[in-house]
Amino acid sequence: MMRRLLVLILLVIGPVSAVADGKSIPFQEIVEQDILPGFAELNQKTAIMADETESSCNAADLRRKYIEAFRAWARVSHLRFGPSEQENRAFALAFWPDPRGKTPKALRKLLLNPDPDALTPEAYEQVSIAARGFYALDYLLFDPEIATLGTPDQRCALVRAVARDIHATAQDLDLAWHGYAPVLTAPGPDAPYRSGDEVLQVLYKSASTGLQFTADMRFGRPLGTFEKPRPKRAEAWRSGQSLALIRQAVAGSGGLALRLAADDPVLASRLDYALTRFDQSAAELGDPTLAGVSTPQGRIRVEALLNDLNAIRRIVDQDLGAHLGVIAGFNALDGD
Amino acid sequence: MTSRRHFLGGLLTTGLMPHVGWAETGNPAYLSAARLPSGRYALFGLNGLGEVVFGIPLPGRGHAAAAHPTQALAVAFARRPGRFAMVINCKSGQMVSRLEAPEGHHFYGHGAFSGDGAVLLTTENHFNDARGMIGMWDAKDNYRRIGAMPSGGVGPHELRLMPDGETFLVANGGIETHPDAGRAKLNLPDMRPNLSYLALNGALLEQHQPPVEWHRNSMRHLAVHADGHVAVACQWQGDLAETPPLLATHRRGQPLMFHETGRGLEREMQGYAGSVAFSGNGGEIALTGPRGGVALIFETTGKLRRQLMETDICGVAAGGSDFVFTTGTGRILVGAAQERRVHDCQWDNHLVAIG
Repeated sequence: MMRRLLVLILLVIGPVSAVADGKSIPFQEIVEQDILPGFAELNQKTAIMADETESSCNAADLRRKYIEAFRAWARVSHLRFGPSEQENRAFALAFWPDPRGKTPKALRKLLLNPDPDALTPEAYEQVSIAARGFYALDYLLFDPEIATLGTPDQRCALVRAVARDIHATAQDLDLAWHGYAPVLTAPGPDAPYRSGDEVLQVLYKSASTGLQFTADMRFGRPLGTFEKPRPKRAEAWRSGQSLALIRQAVAGSGGLALRLAADDPVLASRLDYALTRFDQSAAELGDPTLAGVSTPQGRIRVEALLNDLNAIRRIVDQDLGAHLGVIAGFNALDGD
Repeated sequence: MTSRRHFLGGLLTTGLMPHVGWAETGNPAYLSAARLPSGRYALFGLNGLGEVVFGIPLPGRGHAAAAHPTQALAVAFARRPGRFAMVINCKSGQMVSRLEAPEGHHFYGHGAFSGDGAVLLTTENHFNDARGMIGMWDAKDNYRRIGAMPSGGVGPHELRLMPDGETFLVANGGIETHPDAGRAKLNLPDMRPNLSYLALNGALLEQHQPPVEWHRNSMRHLAVHADGHVAVACQWQGDLAETPPLLATHRRGQPLMFHETGRGLEREMQGYAGSVAFSGNGGEIALTGPRGGVALIFETTGKLRRQLMETDICGVAAGGSDFVFTTGTGRILVGAAQERRVHDCQWDNHLVAIG
């Protein structure tokens, strides 16, 4: 008892803002240690990737740098509000899922009717959002059909345009999130968030929705049904990153949930355990594209990993939600 | 609770009785779907006091229902993106017809009968083109599919018959979804919701969009007053810190009007309105906000008059001179005195007035 009290005292000494019911949420840490470094990393990794396209258009080095930048995005992809929502920046980086195949359609059009004027940085911001971002590069660098359409020069120019556009967006995000930081750490009656409770709500929703998106889309799409598994619907299977992106996304959204649980040590340690367990199971899965969903054995293993994720989601949606007082009702949750 | 179960059982053995009127089902004033404590779902008929007059099991979570204007028939729609709807005889409790969305379509959860009850219209998604459609079904011929017409936009949600008995009003929410991507919203950057007036022959009579800066204000639910005044409930799909008004009103031939609360209550609603209704005396409009646990009540001019705090409040319809509200906690709030009745179930999204 004494020790728990001590832990509690230590926890509340850090830079925190009080919200309703006397809960202490480490907003400062969330912003300064997770959000801002996350977008700085994305900015830096996309810069390296864009630079690489100046010298090569589909070499192993570029692919590696692309993958590192994409992973940096997955880490912060759950933060779909504020600067990420404004000017559709998140969509400009990540147009997925794409059930109607708009991305390959838009890329085919650009490669078969090449227009150099459309590839300048200003112009590329105006092309279909489906032809922008990481998923467009996934096709351009890894899809056997798209990666051979048009002439090598045309493809190279397009790869360069997409990579530069991604970096420009990432740079905007980095800058805009720096500007936005005080909005989250210093709410007030005339500010966009009027209280710590409103900041808490948007952060909690990001964590919870981010975990749900990973379960429903990153797992759900390739799993399909038992009769009809859909391995080709896995995220970024062409570049073999499906599982790696899942790990980054869960670390990002789950890590945010863990910060929000900080003032309840028991809850925090349960969540921490579930996150660690998930990451270990993911590391041991040995199926980077989740192609195993098509075989009975492989499917059981992917489903087991999804169960580990659902264990995290139960803690976040039920226990953490109740602890923070943000549980949504039957109709409130429906969204229809 | 036991009496209701007994009642339910009784209904199920009565068998099919064609062409019964609503009087024979205990004169329900409303229909509402609900989730039962067992986790099962049902469609209930409620009287003006908020008492249950009948209950019929549903195979899954419902959304809205459409009531036949004269016969005691209700069409219960599965929740989006459902592929089927059930036409239920509310006297016998039995399904008299099952509507199956045609290949390549799914339902959005709302529908309406024509004034004479001869045709049922349903909002649908032709998902490989992301095109909103209105399906047409012959109510006199066992709900045979007789055609479909474009809804005038993407993601048609609620559909209402106008007082002339011929014109239909559709809220095209503007959001593209595809069953292969579950409920994921696929086109938020360029969504364009609209309000469309359609004739039964498919003609687009009139259409209105929100201003460009509010292109993410999804117009979803509708209320129509007997004098043709229309109220629209919106769901903001942009950043919560910039929530625009969630109530719009309209009259044919006039511009679409948005009404701000002026007190930042759109934030209180968390940018999300669930249902909308005119009061029984026609003098007020209620907009429910289940996420904020608040209902806003406006004058029909759009001026905010009062608010009502109630957890998970969503369903609303005219009741007496005032309103009846339902909540996800099982409550029914009746009339100006807001007399509360609590049922052992969770009322789902919409309270549909009969007649």
